[in-house]
Amino acid sequence: MKYGFIGKCLFFPQKGILVIGDLHLGYEYMLRETGSLIPATQFKQTKDDLSNIFELIRKKGYKVKKVIFLGDIKHFFGYNKSEKNLFVELNALIGKYVSEKNIIALKGNHEKIAEIADKKLVNYYIEEDTAFIHGDIEIKEAFDKKIKYIVMGHLHPAIILRDSQNIKAEKYKCFLIGKYKTKEVIILPSFLPLVEGTSLNEHLSDNNCIIPKKILKNFYVHIIGNNKMYKFGSLKKLIKE
Amino acid sequence: MTKVTSAIERTDAQIVKALHPLVKEWFFSKFKEFSITQRYGVPAIWERKNILISAPTGGTKTLTAFLSILNYLIILAEKNELENRVYCVYTSPLKALSNDIHKNLIEPLEQIETLAKTKNINLQKIRVGLRTGDTTVAEKAKMAKSPPHIMITTPESLAIMLTSKKFVEHLQMVEFCIVDEIHALDNKRGTYLSITLERLNEVSKIFPVKIGLSATISPLEEVAKFLVGISEEREVEIAEVPLRKKIDVQVLSPSDNLIEDINIQNDIYGLIDSLIQEHQTTLVFTNTRAATERVVAHLKDKFPTIYGDDNIAAHHGSLSKSHRFDIEERLRDGKLKAVVCSTSLELGIDIGYIDLVIMLGSPKSSARALQRLGRAGHKLHEVAKGRFIVNDREDLVECSIIQKEMMEKKINKIQIPKNALDVLAQQIYGMAIYKQWNIEEILELIKKSYCYYELSKNDFYDIISYLAGEYALEKSSVYGKIWYDPETKMIGKRGKLARVIYLTNIGTIPEESFITVKLAGGGEEQKIGVIDESFLERMKRGDVFVLGGSKYEYGYVRGMNLYVRSALHRNPTIPSWFSEQLPLSFDTANEINRFRLLIKEKFDKKNKKEETIKFIKEHLYVQDGTANAIYNFYYEQHKFSEIPTSKKIIIEQYKGEKNYLLFNSMYGRRVNDALSRALGYLMGQAGGRDIELGVTDSGFYIAGESLKIEKAIKFLNSKNLREVLVEAIEKTDLLARRFRHCATRSLMIIRTYKGYSKTVGKQQMKSHFLMAAVKKVSKNFPILNEARREVLEDVLDIENTKKVLDLIKSNEIEIEIKQVKLPSPFTLNLILQGHSDLIKIEDKQKFLKRMHELHMKVIGEE
Repeated sequence: MKYGFIGKCLFFPQKGILVIGDLHLGYEYMLRETGSLIPATQFKQTKDDLSNIFELIRKKGYKVKKVIFLGDIKHFFGYNKSEKNLFVELNALIGKYVSEKNIIALKGNHEKIAEIADKKLVNYYIEEDTAFIHGDIEIKEAFDKKIKYIVMGHLHPAIILRDSQNIKAEKYKCFLIGKYKTKEVIILPSFLPLVEGTSLNEHLSDNNCIIPKKILKNFYVHIIGNNKMYKFGSLKKLIKE
Repeated sequence: MTKVTSAIERTDAQIVKALHPLVKEWFFSKFKEFSITQRYGVPAIWERKNILISAPTGGTKTLTAFLSILNYLIILAEKNELENRVYCVYTSPLKALSNDIHKNLIEPLEQIETLAKTKNINLQKIRVGLRTGDTTVAEKAKMAKSPPHIMITTPESLAIMLTSKKFVEHLQMVEFCIVDEIHALDNKRGTYLSITLERLNEVSKIFPVKIGLSATISPLEEVAKFLVGISEEREVEIAEVPLRKKIDVQVLSPSDNLIEDINIQNDIYGLIDSLIQEHQTTLVFTNTRAATERVVAHLKDKFPTIYGDDNIAAHHGSLSKSHRFDIEERLRDGKLKAVVCSTSLELGIDIGYIDLVIMLGSPKSSARALQRLGRAGHKLHEVAKGRFIVNDREDLVECSIIQKEMMEKKINKIQIPKNALDVLAQQIYGMAIYKQWNIEEILELIKKSYCYYELSKNDFYDIISYLAGEYALEKSSVYGKIWYDPETKMIGKRGKLARVIYLTNIGTIPEESFITVKLAGGGEEQKIGVIDESFLERMKRGDVFVLGGSKYEYGYVRGMNLYVRSALHRNPTIPSWFSEQLPLSFDTANEINRFRLLIKEKFDKKNKKEETIKFIKEHLYVQDGTANAIYNFYYEQHKFSEIPTSKKIIIEQYKGEKNYLLFNSMYGRRVNDALSRALGYLMGQAGGRDIELGVTDSGFYIAGESLKIEKAIKFLNSKNLREVLVEAIEKTDLLARRFRHCATRSLMIIRTYKGYSKTVGKQQMKSHFLMAAVKKVSKNFPILNEARREVLEDVLDIENTKKVLDLIKSNEIEIEIKQVKLPSPFTLNLILQGHSDLIKIEDKQKFLKRMHELHMKVIGEE
C-alpha cells in the first residue's frame, strides 16, 4: 500500500487509514507524581495535534476511514482511572470522523490487560500487504510471505542535532524506514507531545525492539519539521563516534 | 535630609553621673571600667540621641544599648512610676537571641533586683518579654494584658504586633528601639524592617530613640540613615568604635607548590589538623554547606583516633534547629575541640571561647573576613587569631588581598535593596489591616524609610492598583487584598481572612527546597549530599557536577531524590558553585586589580626578582612562601601573555572544544555575570546563534558559533545596559525563580491558606502560570518589574557594572583581544568551571533547517 507522512502520523490515502504512534496518555501525571514540575497541558495538546491532523487530511481532499493506534496508548502499567477517562475523551474526538468499529487499538507493552475503557485491544492488525504491530515482540503473522510492509511504534525514534560548538542541542521526532527480513519497516515516532523520544543517534541500544541495533543503523531517518519532513540519510551517518 | 554626625567618647565620670546608685554598684561589681563602646554609647542613649554603634564582635555592644535603658527603668521602678506599657523594643534578625539577651539583659536585671532587696529598696517588677514566631497564643494574650516593659522580638513579629489595634496601644509610648545585627540586614529583611520602623514611629506619640548595633560595616553613614529614616527633622550619631582588638592573621598555603602537588587535599587536612591540635577550640569556616560536611567527614576519616562525634561537629543552615542548638551549647561549654561551619556562625550568637578561626578558602570580602575573625578571642582585649588556608593560587592572591584590607581597615560596602515593590506590597497590606488610611498618608510614611525615599509615585500607585485587584488576575486566583476609593483617597483591607493571611504569610526569606543526591544502582542506596532545588532545575541527564569534592553524572530523578553515577573522568558540565558560592566583593576585586597593576609595572621595568618578592611581602603582609607563590603565578602569566590590570581587560580568543572568548575581568562574579549576559545577548542577537556563558569572580567566557565581540563592546554602555540586560534575562530560569520569590512576598502566591501549606514545587508551578498571566496583562506588571530589579541589582550588580563600562568608554580601561593557542594561567579555571547559563536565540525549526543543509553537504545528496 502507498503511504505518506502527515505530521507525526502515517496515512494510507487509498484506504483512508490513519496510523498513530505511542500516545502514553497520563505520562504527565506520572512526572508530576515523581516531582517534575510540568504544567498539565499535555492532553489538550494531544487533542489539538490530532484535530489538526484530521483537518490537514481533509484539506488535502482525503477522508479518514480507519484509525490505528500502534499500542502504548496509556502510560501507567497498572489500572488508572484518569487514563481511562482520557482515552474515552480521545475516542469521542475521533468518533466524529470514523465509526467506533473502525478504530483499531493495538496492545503495547504498557497495556497489561487487553482492554481500555471497554475497547478490546489486539496484538496485531493486517490490511492487505501491510502488518501493524507494536514492536516489542516479534509477531509471526507480520512476517508472512504476503506481507510487504510492517508498521510499528514502540521505539519512540528521535534525533539530537548539535551545532559545531556543542552549545545548541535540539531533539526532534523522526520516522525510521528500512529493510528487515525482506519487509519494508516503517517505525513511527511517539505521538505524545511532551517528550520527543529516544535520541537514537546518541543512545542507541537494543532496547527490546525486535529489530537489532546493527540493522537499525541502516534505516533512513526522516525528521519531522513544523511544515516539512527532512530526509537525513541513514541513521549511522548521524551517529558521531 | 537626615543629619549624620559623629558621636563623642566620654569619660567614666560623665557616665557615672547619670547612673542610679544601684546600677552603678552593680556595674562596678562586675566590671573595672567602662568599655570604649560604652563610653561612646551609654551617655548618648541616656541623652536620647539616635545612635549607630559599630564595633567589633565582643565589644560589649548589647550591654551598651541596654545600660541606659535599664538605668531609666530602675529609676522609674523605684519611684513606682513604671507604667503598663512597652518602653523598649529590641529587634534582631537572629532566631537564637536568647543567650546574648540572657547575659546582657536578664542577668543584669536580676542581679540589680537582688541587690535592691539586700538594701531593702523596693522596686516595681520590670518585665522582659520575648515574642517571636514561636510564641504561643496564650503567651501573646498574657502580653496583651500585661505588656513587657522591654520587648525582645524579630523584625517580622514586630510587624505583626503593629497590625493589632489592641497591642498597638502598648506601643504608643515606646521610648527606645534597638536594632541589633544591622550588618546582617543587607537584604530584603532590612528593606522590610525599614518600613516597620516607620510604622512604629507612626503609632508612637513620641519618636522612639533608635539604637543601631552593628559589626564593622561600611558605609556607616548610609546604615545610620537606614536606622533613623529620611527626614529633615531627624538626626543620628555614629559611634565608630576603633578596632582596638589586635588581630593576628596569616595566609597559609598547604603546599609549596599549589600547581603540581597532587596531594593537596591531603595536605590541607594535615594542616587543619595540626592547627586544631595546637589550639584549645577552633572554629573552621568554609563557604558552603557541602564543604562543611566534607571537612568534618575527612578529618574523622583521616584521623579516626583524634576526631569523633564527641569533639568535632559540622554546623550549617540545613541542620535541624535542635541539632544546631546542641552544637552551640557544647561549643560554649568547651566540650568541642573544633566546629566546622558555613556562614551560620558568622552572626553574633554567643559561642564561648574560641582561640583560633580558620578560614578555608577565600571569605570573598573583608567585612565577612572580619566578622568571622571576630568570633575568636571573644573578649575585646584579647588577640583575635585567624588563619586563611588556600586551595589554589587564585585563592592565595584573594586571601592575601583580603588580609591586607583587614589590616588596613578597608571594609567593603554593603547595599540594602531599595524600592523593592514586593516588600512594599506586603507592608501596605499589613498597614491596611491595622486601620483605614488616606493614600497620601501612606506614601508619606513610606517615603521616610531609607529604602523608599526615592520611590516613584508611579511605582507606588502600581502597587496600590495590584493590591486593589485592578489588574484583573482573579482568573489566576489572585484576588484584591485592599480596597481603594479614588474619590475619598482612602484605603482599607478586604476580606474577612485578611489578618490570617497576613499573619501566616509574612516574611521575606524565600523558601528553597533541597534535593537529596544518591548513588544509583550497585545495591544499597548511598546518600551523597543535598543540592538546592534550583541547582537541579538547570541540569539535564548526562550533566556532570561536583558535590562534596567528587564528580557525579546526573542519572534520573525520583521524587525529591536525584540518582547519580560517579563520573571520575569527565569534566563538570555544570559549575559547582552555582547556588551557594559567595561572590567576591567588588571592592576586593578592585584591590586585586590594583595589585596586579603594581606587579605588572615591576615586570615591565624588569625589576629584580628579589626586589619584587620583597615588595609583595611588604605590600600584602605575607611570608616568604606566599610571596614566592604569588610571584611565580604572576610571572607565568606575564611570560605567557600579559597581566590584566585595573587599566586593561584582556580577552583571549581561544579555539578549544568550542570557540571561546575568555575575558580577564577581575570585578567579582556579580559584575562579570552582568557583563557576560549583556555582551552574550548582543552577540547572540547579531549572529542569530545560541551562546554559552561561564562566570567566575575573576572573569567570564562566552562561547558560540558567531562571536562579534568588537561590535558588542562598542554598542554596550552604561546608559543602555539596563535595557539590554532586561532583554537578556527575560527568558532565564533565574528570573523565573526570582519571580516566584517576589510573587510569594507580595502575596500573589499564598503559601499558607486556611491551614494548608503549598510545597515549594507547587509554588513554582503556580508562579510559572502567574508569570505567563501577568505578562499578558502588562509587560510592566509591578511584581514582575520587582523580580527584574532583584535580578539586576541584588543578584547581578548593575551599578558597579555601569562604572566599569564608563571606564571603558572613557578609555581608562583598555580592552585588548589576543589570539591564544592555550588559555593563559589566569583563565585556565574559567573553562574548567563549566557554563553558568545559555542564551537561546535561534529558533528550533530554523536550526533544523540549517543543520539539515549542513548534514546533506557532508553526506552528499541522496
